[in-house]
Amino acid sequence: MGSLADWLDHRTGYRKLVSAALDEEIAGGARFAYVFGSALLAIFTVQVATGLLLMITYTPAVGGAWSSVVYIQQHVAGGWFVRGLHAYGAQAMVVVLGLHLLQVALYGAYRAPREVNWWFGLALLGIVQTMALTGYLLPWDQKGYWATKVATNIAGTVPVVGPAIQTLVVGGVDYGQSTLTRFYALHVAVLPAALALMTVVHVALMRRHGITPPHGADMQKKGRFYPEQVAMDMLFSVLVIIVVAILTGINHGMHLDAPADPLADYPPRPEWYFLFLFQLLKYLPGSMELVGTIILPGLAMGFLFVLPFLDRGETNAVGKRLHLLAPIALGFIGIVALTVMSYQDDAADEGFQRARADSHVRAQRALQLAKQGIPPGGPLEMLRNDPMTRGKDLYDQYCLGCHTLGGEDQEAPDHGGFGSRPWTLALMHDPQDKRFFGTTEIDEMKPMDEKVPPADRKAVAEFLFAEGREPNDADVDAALVAKGKDVFEDKCMDCHLYGGDGAFVFEGPDMTGYASRWWIYRQILQPDAEDQYGELNEMPSFEGDLSEHDAKLIAAYLRRQRFEPLTK
Amino acid sequence: MAKAQDDSRRTFLTWLIGLGGAGIGVLLAVPGARYIADPLRRVAGKHGRWSSLGDLESLPKDHPVSLPVIGEQVDAWTRATDVALGTVWVRRGEGEQVQAWNAECPHLGCKVGYDRDKARFGCPCHDSEFSPKGDKLGGPAPRSLDPLQTRVKDGKVEVRFVRFRAQVAERVEIG
Repeated sequence: MGSLADWLDHRTGYRKLVSAALDEEIAGGARFAYVFGSALLAIFTVQVATGLLLMITYTPAVGGAWSSVVYIQQHVAGGWFVRGLHAYGAQAMVVVLGLHLLQVALYGAYRAPREVNWWFGLALLGIVQTMALTGYLLPWDQKGYWATKVATNIAGTVPVVGPAIQTLVVGGVDYGQSTLTRFYALHVAVLPAALALMTVVHVALMRRHGITPPHGADMQKKGRFYPEQVAMDMLFSVLVIIVVAILTGINHGMHLDAPADPLADYPPRPEWYFLFLFQLLKYLPGSMELVGTIILPGLAMGFLFVLPFLDRGETNAVGKRLHLLAPIALGFIGIVALTVMSYQDDAADEGFQRARADSHVRAQRALQLAKQGIPPGGPLEMLRNDPMTRGKDLYDQYCLGCHTLGGEDQEAPDHGGFGSRPWTLALMHDPQDKRFFGTTEIDEMKPMDEKVPPADRKAVAEFLFAEGREPNDADVDAALVAKGKDVFEDKCMDCHLYGGDGAFVFEGPDMTGYASRWWIYRQILQPDAEDQYGELNEMPSFEGDLSEHDAKLIAAYLRRQRFEPLTK
Repeated sequence: MAKAQDDSRRTFLTWLIGLGGAGIGVLLAVPGARYIADPLRRVAGKHGRWSSLGDLESLPKDHPVSLPVIGEQVDAWTRATDVALGTVWVRRGEGEQVQAWNAECPHLGCKVGYDRDKARFGCPCHDSEFSPKGDKLGGPAPRSLDPLQTRVKDGKVEVRFVRFRAQVAERVEIG
């Protein structure tokens, strides 16, 4: 072993390199206050490793990005963990970077002759934030899509050059494939390369000038970088990475929203470390907006930039620099306060909570559908053919104006539990209830309680329930269905049709396939057809307003109400 | 005394650093290795599937024809129907007899063609040649063309489409 190392050293001189890297004296001794820079390097290593792994699978295409992330999350071995480490690692980087900045400011390590290194640090701060911002878009899910859309629009508010910057970042006027590819190139190549190179300079400059001990440190005390400082650095790095791994574990990786959909309603929020800027904009209406997007952040960065020139005192004692540290402290307090306020606003905002719950349902549905594989047309095509997603959206848009699902003030029947057994029983009991025809002028149907005994009504409910049954549904009681059919033919077909037959006095609709997809589809497109409501009909036809495809989606969605409870 | 204490402290810290570094390394290496090796655990699965090639009567009797095999395909996250899965060479015999071969050359997988003038299959890559019955005649191919099971149902030709490992003498189904 020793001779192999000698051989290698003779050829490469690695021992000298290692000793140059590690054998450094630390004036005033090793301190836990110095651990943040090394921890950032450790997390960056994790980011590079996990990022390269994700690149094996991830695909930066509008129709494939979300799908590839789902694949990582659901199918690739260890995929959710790798992605979780990467996403929480990014957040850890932002946090530790903040601590690093505070430590450097507190110790006055930005003071002459270390100005240039301070500036490198500020530039690295910007790069890390841009990494976080660009990475947020890459899954091409709702949250990344909308948050980044807002961010690029903010870039467009910069005076004079803003629109050009925005067009360059977006890759055109429309936010889409060019945007994603550009963000991807920035995120995986340009920014990491810049980050790595500038970090090399940053560390080299730090070594050139040495660490900055706090005022009053015992300068007689001499510490070593290795192993003392490195051990402290390692302890803290391990701690941070353990926290990242725990967050990943308890959340089963990073949350993935529904695929980005320009048409879907979504309540966008930036990632939590940008929430303070988001919150700030709430207080700055219209013309003042530039204050929040450009001027205040610009002033803050400008202040940090010139800080070394403002601080030319004899000593780095904190007491002598309070007037310079105060703005930084105020800035941080402001950031924390705005972040907390943003969370409080959202927690108190019922509309936001509802929208978030809706988007959560949508995301869960998309993830569930994706398990079966995603069609070549991509995840949006998948959702647009899904009754529970697109069908619901269309129902909300076209039907909820008059109908309701357990709501109030409707002008047409309440669809809660539509087509279920309790629905039919309740309808036979009191057709004029406001859940049924009470809100319409239809009063031809009479309560059936006297005409039909309870056991027969139950049989009719089973019979009609079976009319909307589909192959994958639970079985019905065949004997009861047969009995119900007899009762129906005997008691109901004076007014209703079945299979085109019956109706001595035609008034009610044909109950063949009642509440099935086909029946609902007919009702949507031809409610006044002879075998639907005919002359009694009050519902508008949606033929022409809705495509056949969309009407089928609504029908498939509404048919599912048979498995939902009846509105009380 | 102070020196010995200093040494043991130094040893302790060195161990601590090594342990921490190894911990982070393991945390990344274990999921990373599983992640990278993921395709290896996917290869095991059902081999071969029956797929329709079209009408028996449309096949010529005097020479083989190449036909696409259309079917459902799951490619990473995409599930597509009616995708071309591969090509087969089909040759009609007497009555309902049909012979079929996978069109991939058993050498390195290029798509073999059929030269009607010479009446033989040939690979465009490394010049392997096969008889109209698929037997190897020359070139670097390690075996004859890979025959596929066929059957005729209601006048439609069906083939059990299988892919084989290239460059080995025996036939090993791989998908």
